[in-house]
Amino acid sequence: MTALDVALVGFGLLALAGALLAVTTRHIVHAALWLVVALGSLAGVYLVLGAEIVALVQLLVYVGAIVVLVLFALMVTRSPIGPSRDHATSPAHRGVAAVIAAGLVALLLAVLLPIAGSGAVTRQVTSNRALGADLFGTWAWPFELLSLLLLASLVAALAIARSRAVTGKEDA
Amino acid sequence: MGAAMSVWEVVLRSVAVLAAFLVLPLLVGFMEHKVMAHMQARLGPMYAGGFHGWAQLIADAAKFVQKDDLLPTAADKGVFRLAPSLALIPYLVALAVVPLSPSIVGADAPASAVVVLAATAVGVLGGLMAGWASANKYSLLGGLRSAAQLIAYELPMVLAVASVALAAGTLSLTGIATEWRPWWLLWQLPAAFVFLAGGCAEIQRPPFDMPLADSEIVFGPYTEYSGLRFALFLLAEYAGIVLMSLLMSVMFLGAWHGPWSGPLGWLWTILKAVPIAFLFLWFRNSWPRLREDQLQRFAWLVLVPLALVQLLITAVGVVMMR
Amino acid sequence: MSERGFLPGVFKGLGITMKTMARPAVTHEYPDARPDLPPRSRGVIALVEENCTSCMLCARECPDWCIYIEGHKETIPATTPGGRERQRNVLDRFAIDYALCMYCGICVEVCPFDALYWSPQFEYAEFDIQDLLHEKERLGQWVQTVPVPPALDERAPDAAEVVSANKPPRVPRPAAAAGDATGAVSAAGEAPVRRERPAGGDRPARAERPAPEAAAGAPTDATTDAATPATRDAEPAAPPEPPEPAVPAEPPVAPEEETS
Repeated sequence: MTALDVALVGFGLLALAGALLAVTTRHIVHAALWLVVALGSLAGVYLVLGAEIVALVQLLVYVGAIVVLVLFALMVTRSPIGPSRDHATSPAHRGVAAVIAAGLVALLLAVLLPIAGSGAVTRQVTSNRALGADLFGTWAWPFELLSLLLLASLVAALAIARSRAVTGKEDA
Repeated sequence: MGAAMSVWEVVLRSVAVLAAFLVLPLLVGFMEHKVMAHMQARLGPMYAGGFHGWAQLIADAAKFVQKDDLLPTAADKGVFRLAPSLALIPYLVALAVVPLSPSIVGADAPASAVVVLAATAVGVLGGLMAGWASANKYSLLGGLRSAAQLIAYELPMVLAVASVALAAGTLSLTGIATEWRPWWLLWQLPAAFVFLAGGCAEIQRPPFDMPLADSEIVFGPYTEYSGLRFALFLLAEYAGIVLMSLLMSVMFLGAWHGPWSGPLGWLWTILKAVPIAFLFLWFRNSWPRLREDQLQRFAWLVLVPLALVQLLITAVGVVMMR
Repeated sequence: MSERGFLPGVFKGLGITMKTMARPAVTHEYPDARPDLPPRSRGVIALVEENCTSCMLCARECPDWCIYIEGHKETIPATTPGGRERQRNVLDRFAIDYALCMYCGICVEVCPFDALYWSPQFEYAEFDIQDLLHEKERLGQWVQTVPVPPALDERAPDAAEVVSANKPPRVPRPAAAAGDATGAVSAAGEAPVRRERPAGGDRPARAERPAPEAAAGAPTDATTDAATPATRDAEPAAPPEPPEPAVPAEPPVAPEEETS
């Protein structure tokens, strides 16, 4: 077992624990903060595997922007301190969710375990230049498609916000 | 990075970065004391330490240590306690990758420009956590404002850094500074402006201090903090000034480029950062606080378009020079 | 945000702060350097105990009720055999609570006997708010710090005291003039001479003025004084003088104003 192995397993366990706590905690803001832990640990996993730029973008985008947005939404709406059961789901709901999650995990394991191999963790440093070339060369179309998806969601969000503003005016 | 370093070198570099992290914010803080005082026709601290009150901030720190560490009853204790460290430590990480000269750098990462951006983005989480966990409506308002401000100003800042990175063809701060040429001052001027404004907003300095706004929401997220934890937030603010000034110096002002840049490169980097730090203090003393809507308008209608135009200009320049 | 005029204002602000920074600071380094206080600074109220008649005017006018006066009456035996005994007020306690005082100066204004003065002395801070109640001994010490009143402005009218002292004596009415026509004539003849006298020049100081008894020989003077019993100088018109020359006589209303 090398130091890289230890680091990888450590970050992996941390990500797993953070993710589990994020969905099980009764403190709604804590859920968002545990999400920070999970996403940050995932960035650590990337870093251990040598994908430095991916790890940093993970931090910049997910922790720096998405979680901040989640926290912002939580603060704007009700965000009680202390446990709250307002958003608790029914047992049936939870059971279905657990089954689906287990299925997803099984699927991923089935796909990933055969290619994981059994050797020690190796660090494959990808240069930023190569990553950029790949992203904007080979994977340009998926990348653009993704941005189109984001654009669509942006327009949709704007439409929802605008329509509400209009009805609000009519009410007044 | 790191693989070829001996343990001693790692320790030495860490200690050096920590020392810089503890000393430079104090210097900036003292500069703020004095500059602000003289801009208001005052003298500022004159007693602590004897000569023009140079030890004022050390005395302040001693005072903060003695103060009671208050914890609001309704606060979320764990998050409340954790928040100041989370606000401070990212700046330490960011400072570690900022080069003072090609050889003097805490840790030379291949994508250090992104490290800095990611670190500052994480740092704002500390303010958000403090704002929510204090169980205080002013703090919550401050937290909300700081989240809205972060989201608005993160984008133009990333675009401004992308512009210089594109111009230099590298994401490493050392690489960017090495590639720098004097005419970049003009070429990257809009990006420098965007970065200055964005950086000012990122560290929540006036005129972009809506999240703190001591005169209306009593320091926002920091309202409930006292003693050492409050001091940590203050230190984070000054560390933010240090970081942003050094980044401006490295990315837009050519860092160590100058006469005798070989042995005195680090001095040039710092000398170029000092006027930027002074700018931050000057802005604070000259301008009123922007309103929340003005803040958002400025970010989305001025800075983002400007940064996009700059990106276009840079791209054209890079293609033409090839 | 008005778009017009935005940029110039921004730079103007920067210019103002920079200009201020280039100028020397206005700070007085107080404990090291004394502040140059303006004349008539209201630092603390000093008490000239000898002038106080315990008339209570200051205590009653004080908006904060921060002046405490206690006194008692003393009977002065008659100076001449068969004369009337007189009473006078003796000041036992005069205290100002500076924790309450709002430095309005009304007490100084209303004091008819110039017993209260403003002193620029301001260094009397205490660690306990109750220690700010200062008795007459302490108030008396501050008298030494009372500055000489600033000179009048050029061409300013004379002080009220000077004007009244230089007024020609009133010509006695025939009915009140004790039936002596020559006295009236002599007084009328004297008046122009007095009027030409320069203000405050060779006029005798208040203490050196001839006592009313000495002037009693001239019937005109006596009648003049008798016609205005409460002159500004408050010199007694009646013959028996209290033994202490430093203490002015009681005001006409004093005996009824006795304190507890």
